[in-house]
Amino acid sequence: MYRSRRMVAVGLVAAVLAVAGCRSDAPETQQGSEGVKFDVGVTKEPCPAAVDKAKGCIYLGSISDLTEGPFKALGVPITESQKAFWKRVNTAGGIGGYEVDVSKYTKDNKYNPQIHNEVYSEIKPDVLGLAQTLGSPTTAAILADLKSSNMIGVPASWTSAWAFEDVILESGTNYCFESMNSVDFGAETLQAKSVAAVHFPGDYGDDAAAGTKIAAEANGMKFTDIPTAPGQENQGAAIQKLVEAKPDLVILTTGPTEAATIVGGSAQAGFKGQFIGTSPTWNPALLKSPAAPALTALYRQSGPWAPYGTETAGHKALGESLDQAMFKAAPNDGYTAGWVWSYPLKAALQKAVDSKDLTRAGLLAAVKSLEKVDYEGMLPAEAGRFGGEPNERVFRQSIISKVDPTAPTGVKVEKDFFTGKTAAKHEFSKPCYQ
Amino acid sequence: MNEFVATVVRGLGNGSIYALLALGFVIIYKSMRVISFAQPAFMMAGGVLVSHLVLSMNFFLAVLISLLLTALLGAGVERVALRPMIGKPVFVIAIITLGVDIVIRTVVNSFIGLDIRQMGDPWGLKQLKLLGVTIDQRHLATLVTTLVVVAALFAFYRWSRTGLAMRAASSDQEVALAQGVSVGRVFSLSWALAAMLAGLAGVFLSTGIGLEQNLWLTALKALPVIILGGLDSLGGAVIAGLTIGVVEALVGNYGGNLSPVFGGDFFLVVPYLLMLLVLLVKPYGLFGTREVERI
Repeated sequence: MYRSRRMVAVGLVAAVLAVAGCRSDAPETQQGSEGVKFDVGVTKEPCPAAVDKAKGCIYLGSISDLTEGPFKALGVPITESQKAFWKRVNTAGGIGGYEVDVSKYTKDNKYNPQIHNEVYSEIKPDVLGLAQTLGSPTTAAILADLKSSNMIGVPASWTSAWAFEDVILESGTNYCFESMNSVDFGAETLQAKSVAAVHFPGDYGDDAAAGTKIAAEANGMKFTDIPTAPGQENQGAAIQKLVEAKPDLVILTTGPTEAATIVGGSAQAGFKGQFIGTSPTWNPALLKSPAAPALTALYRQSGPWAPYGTETAGHKALGESLDQAMFKAAPNDGYTAGWVWSYPLKAALQKAVDSKDLTRAGLLAAVKSLEKVDYEGMLPAEAGRFGGEPNERVFRQSIISKVDPTAPTGVKVEKDFFTGKTAAKHEFSKPCYQ
Repeated sequence: MNEFVATVVRGLGNGSIYALLALGFVIIYKSMRVISFAQPAFMMAGGVLVSHLVLSMNFFLAVLISLLLTALLGAGVERVALRPMIGKPVFVIAIITLGVDIVIRTVVNSFIGLDIRQMGDPWGLKQLKLLGVTIDQRHLATLVTTLVVVAALFAFYRWSRTGLAMRAASSDQEVALAQGVSVGRVFSLSWALAAMLAGLAGVFLSTGIGLEQNLWLTALKALPVIILGGLDSLGGAVIAGLTIGVVEALVGNYGGNLSPVFGGDFFLVVPYLLMLLVLLVKPYGLFGTREVERI
């Protein structure tokens, strides 16, 4: 008898807790100015640094590598650039009756998935979406929750897996297609007959290596796979393998110091092949290193968009919005990336406000309905298609840049947006590296 | 054959850096019976100082001044953060060294900035041909410098009065005190020497492409080295450092398919596998002193 009463009591407590939990997870929908409904991360009160105090505020979180992680050199400029982007949006009148804040909920992930998850949980109740979630493994750590919360995240990475996730708002082509285009460029322009992929393990390097292999097979080129580990002192074996294999073309997906060690070390050993590195392999500071002559002679950079200083309206706006002293202290195309990534989120927020639904579900619906985004010339508008099957909507164009010490970030466009024949034909039914 | 020799020389170059770092760990362990986790910070401090000093002076002079300043930093840390902890459990002191590492690295990082700092060294990525074998000049410079420094260090321990005092303090602090040895001075000197050696490792590690914030991770490779060589053996640290460098290079070059799980990264695991094997056979390392306990 006592036992059954106790069971009933425990059951009741559990039920009350479950209901309480459900209530806190299901935010109340409110009505804002101009009849726009919202739930989480939107207030009728102005943003902390509001331009117009009469407007409400949309809070977006930003989780980046800001202090001691390996991608700090990219995370800091991306974050600064996004602050500048949204400041420009707010100064131009905001999004309907709202301005956007990306500063209050900026967190450091130290490029650690566990910390990423912790800080995400911390800011999740206060933000509508994530203006930045830096890194692939870190974003993977919160992906399930993003999906169950209908929460949009703008990734600071280019893995091909993002095309298969509704809640991820990526821009530009991924490492896989970018590498296919680089190999096609190498075959057509550099007359390369063999190619090697020197890459880090993981979805960054493996994605590019998979694209390289696909394009090598399509072009009938000999393919050599050379995985390598991070660290300058760990590149000796990769250099030796490259010198032995003597490929005409090398697709690099490493960090900047590893890329410079490999290019400089191989050149010293008499290697004559050409290198094309994905955008994370480049840092303009390398032009001050002993590898500079080899980089100038042998290295090209592939990228999802053109580098800082290119003549487009978007690049011009970026240059005008940034603190130039900050940029010149450490010039980096992280600024360009942070800026470009923000355009589709702005378009989706505008569409959600126009549809009078600024809830998380409303924003997700707005993202899925985007067919075009105005990137102010930094990317073609069709790159902003987020509805439909990945194979139909994935953006396949990339650019190739050449080292130019006079350019703001040390590289200048050599071949503008193009889709190689391999990328054009590729059936994109799953992430390339899987 | 040439390729094999070139790989071995590269391994010796990297192994010299591990040996310099490991020597610092061993010197502090011998004097205080504590593993200092502050070595990565001293390594970065040495490197960053050279990268700034070299803007206004010759590289070798910059290295000399940097090593003196790093040694002072090491002695200062010992005096301020470690000396008051004497008598506390070694675990507590080890954790304090971890805190010291984070504090110093945070300060050092602000002097590195977001970019890659250049060391202005004369070797860069240049190579030379020696008996038909092509080798990187910086690897040769690292190896030669390490051998000279190790010889000087051993001579210092063997023949100088201070070295004798350090050996005495390491053997039995109370007896050493009774014989008039200033144990506090021995502690300071140990930290100064360890910091200087780590600083030198940082300088050589940054030659070539340059110094960046993540370079500190390399210092962790000294941990399997000290276990392999024996925590209290200076000679063991040198031999184990060079061995791990060479084995790592050989496995990296020839052992790509040895492990289907790790693939090309198998060479990164090898130092730890070696460490594990040695621990199973010789728990005090290859050259470590077996602890004698009265039962």
